[in-house]
Amino acid sequence: MATSTSIAHVESESPLRHALGIVPGVLLLAAIGYAGKFLEHFFNTYAKSHHWTFPNIEYVLWAIIIGLLISNTVGVAKVFQAGVATYEFWLKLGIVLLGARFVLADVLKLGGISLALVVIEITVSLALMTFLGRLFKLKPKLISLLAIGSSICGVSAIIAAKGAIDADDEDASFAMAAILALGALALFTFPAIAHGLHMNDVSYGLWAGLGVDNTAEATAAGALYSDAAGKVAVLAKTARNAFIGFVVLAYAIYWAGQGKAEAVTNKAAFLWRKFPKFILGFLFMSLLVGFHAFSKDQVASLGNLSKWAFLLTFAGVGLGTNFRVMSRQGLRPFIVGALGEVLIAGLTLGLVVGTNRIWGL
Amino acid sequence: MPADKSSPPARSLSLDTWAVIVALALALAVKFGALKSVPW
Repeated sequence: MATSTSIAHVESESPLRHALGIVPGVLLLAAIGYAGKFLEHFFNTYAKSHHWTFPNIEYVLWAIIIGLLISNTVGVAKVFQAGVATYEFWLKLGIVLLGARFVLADVLKLGGISLALVVIEITVSLALMTFLGRLFKLKPKLISLLAIGSSICGVSAIIAAKGAIDADDEDASFAMAAILALGALALFTFPAIAHGLHMNDVSYGLWAGLGVDNTAEATAAGALYSDAAGKVAVLAKTARNAFIGFVVLAYAIYWAGQGKAEAVTNKAAFLWRKFPKFILGFLFMSLLVGFHAFSKDQVASLGNLSKWAFLLTFAGVGLGTNFRVMSRQGLRPFIVGALGEVLIAGLTLGLVVGTNRIWGL
Repeated sequence: MPADKSSPPARSLSLDTWAVIVALALALAVKFGALKSVPW
């Protein structure tokens, strides 16, 4: 994958050269993101001035579409690749800054609901993907990677698990391709289904956070519906990400027990190593706002900084999705992933709608 | 290996940690007026 190539490549470079090397790609992300923002504004103004009924296409979708078009036609030139690979950083930066827009009480309330739903989602997803993987006779470690990727947080979880269970590069690429392809499809299907069902922002945000696997795609899917839904999607997805260490540890212990992975000696250190630290940053930021460390205007500024960071992320999501490369990974893991994801999307939708009916979201 | 020993320790910080450090730096910049009113 482009990401691993560029990381391996920069290891031997000086920090200054590395920093300079990412500049073109970051500028490309910014240009595409800003173009998305411009197109949203342009089409809205044009349609209004000509009295047209034109659906509001959010900057999020424009940025993703432009990225997808570039990636799948001319491709991302080598000079941009290192910078484009930073979109994970912008995503995490955006999430930490987004913490400023949550009052801690909201985090605890929504986070509590999310956590309860996440536990159910993870348990069912793991069981379902394992069943489907065995049914389609996939390799056992590929089944583990697909199960971890679809139950928790996509690519990050697969990368975390790959080392822990000594999985092949090929299996990890299969699992990542399936998760990314399905995440790209979710960007278009989730908002359409939710509009059809007239879901409210909180319900939809929860569904996107629970049902879309990769954090970047879950954030984008939420933001495509509304700003408020985007916030909730990030919170639900963050709650899901918090489980990464526990699930990967369970799989590492299982495979070590089978004699096919290294034994985990210090479980607490393992959990800390795998825990996504940006979640702590998100909570800390929310805590600071709870203690009135920032004025109202300052909170708005932090929220806007978070949006700018997400803008680069959404451009990176499009640029990082290459359907030709994904199609080379084979059909069976994709079918298993697709079947599992459709069932998980249906299950999480049922969970969220049920929770909304009972407790009112 | 010598090549490994020469790696600067700052490189070992994870992406998550960098994200938190940069976010806190931005929050401080907003708090103390270095970044005034960020528009969207």
